[in-house]
Amino acid sequence: MNVIVNILKKMTYKQIIFYTILVLCFVASVVFVNHNYSFYDRPIAKVIETKLVDTAEVTDEHHNKDKLFTQRITAELKNGEEKGQLIHLTNKYSSSGAYDQEYHVGNELFVSIDKNTEESTELTGSIKDVKRDKYVLIIGWIFIFTLLIVGKKQGLFSIISLAVNAALLFYALDVYVNTESTRLLWICGISAILFTIISLLLVSGFNEKTYAAIVATLIGTFLSLFITYLVMGLTSENGLRYEEMQFLTRPYRMVFMAGLLLGSLGGVMDVAITMSSSIFGLYEKNNNISVKALKTSGMDIGKDIMGTITNILFFVYISGSIPMLILYLNNASSLTFTLSMNLSLELARALAGGIGIVLTIPIGLYTSIFFVNRKRAR
Amino acid sequence: MNVLVWLAAILFILMVLIGGKKGVRSFVALFLNFGVLLLTIIIMTVPNVNPIILTLIACTLISCINLFYINEVNRKTKTAFISTMITIVILLFFIVIVTEKSMFQGFGEEEIEEISVFSLYIGVDFTKIGASMIIMSAIGSIVDVAISIASSMSEIRNHNPFISRKDLFTSGLGIGRDILGTDTNTLFFAFFGSYLGLLIWFKDLSYSFGEIVNSKVFSAEMINILCAGIGVAIIIPITAWITAYFLVKTRDK
Repeated sequence: MNVIVNILKKMTYKQIIFYTILVLCFVASVVFVNHNYSFYDRPIAKVIETKLVDTAEVTDEHHNKDKLFTQRITAELKNGEEKGQLIHLTNKYSSSGAYDQEYHVGNELFVSIDKNTEESTELTGSIKDVKRDKYVLIIGWIFIFTLLIVGKKQGLFSIISLAVNAALLFYALDVYVNTESTRLLWICGISAILFTIISLLLVSGFNEKTYAAIVATLIGTFLSLFITYLVMGLTSENGLRYEEMQFLTRPYRMVFMAGLLLGSLGGVMDVAITMSSSIFGLYEKNNNISVKALKTSGMDIGKDIMGTITNILFFVYISGSIPMLILYLNNASSLTFTLSMNLSLELARALAGGIGIVLTIPIGLYTSIFFVNRKRAR
Repeated sequence: MNVLVWLAAILFILMVLIGGKKGVRSFVALFLNFGVLLLTIIIMTVPNVNPIILTLIACTLISCINLFYINEVNRKTKTAFISTMITIVILLFFIVIVTEKSMFQGFGEEEIEEISVFSLYIGVDFTKIGASMIIMSAIGSIVDVAISIASSMSEIRNHNPFISRKDLFTSGLGIGRDILGTDTNTLFFAFFGSYLGLLIWFKDLSYSFGEIVNSKVFSAEMINILCAGIGVAIIIPITAWITAYFLVKTRDK
């Protein structure tokens, strides 16, 4: 108890209000998401009883063994005209669960209700999807609380940065989808400039090192985009397989390039702000430090970070394709075919991002030195 | 010539020009990481292997490559390694529960058309594979945070040899907070970049908000981003505490 009292004593009035509002938001949203059935048009049913009726072993043409199960589910409808009535569902699932799963008591499902032709009193239907909104919400709150507890003010700023950037991206895509003539790459280029300015201002505030980092990020990102464009032009895109690019409703090359631009932006920003804050840190410690000394220490810092930041991009891109790679490999596709179909775009993106990151080291160094010299001249 | 070969060659030349020997090591490390990742995926196709244990082994190898090969084996990298492993284990517990509860494993209805030629009953556990996918996407940034905090903290201790454990821990947390913003940014934009196609798809087919949030594909990606962010946040106190503990312990001897 004493610890809590001490923490409360240390907090300022504003902080107490902030945390109270936050906890209230948390409670309200959790209550809402557990009772929001009436906001959905699609019928929702909550599983109240399951019964396993059949088990079968199957072997497919590639000698993969799997188990198939059939379960009978009784569920209670939560919205619509039939609210409160019971519905009977049948669910077939496999033990691997690539596109199906076992349901347990308490799961909430989107269902479709069969039209009753006979004079039976029991409703039947089929399962469409799982209601996942509450899980996304709860993990979102865990994320917010973790970042606030660990990061305090900086944690709050990175949450704001994520929210603002996501909203901006949604808006930019709205503009793109609703106007026929505009080009995606242009929209993404302009958004990239806005993303950079917003994120870096939130990370390190209004000061010269932020301005240096913004300039360096923009030069670095567009240079890496230009190099990638040049290479793709020179090789006539040999080796890039767009066939397996998912979710395409638009020209695939544009979507790929725009994704490449956005994806490398974060890594490049990371390098740019690290370079400029360490150069400015050195200058603030010793106002008479020579340009040569700044260059040597700047390059040392750059060498330390380039490997790890390239790795971040690399793992994010590649790991997204893990389920697809496994599906290909277990369907007797050869390794080279699987890799070239699924990973060529991801690898190109990771490599282009890496080029941007490495290029930004000298660019960040020289723009920071330029800003330091300007500050000295004043 | 192949685009990938060209881009890899350009990256290699740039890394050597700017990083010298360390640049070569960083480039080789990228390839080693790719090798480990590929090997892990190939072993995952065997039905009886537990993907979670496999992921733990792969993460150990990847952290060894990124910490001990790019940098050397020393006090800084050792404490960073221990912190990374502890964080990975904690995160794994959390993510396994999350994947089982929210049922986003495998493929969504948006993807089912293009994979309809394949047999889906392949005997592996897609729920666990989903969990290991999230861990793998975060491992790069977790290692990055661990090494940054550990090396700045040992700098601080070298400058103030008699600093107390508590002060060292607090300054470690401060360093962590400074890099939290940039590292979460790197992650977010990398995810935005790879999900751009999906977002345009949702807009073009005018999905309602409720449909987007509940769809398997979107909730999986959202949970992936959030879990990676949680990983980057929880490694900060863990590394700060472990580094402070070891740095003070070695001094007191």
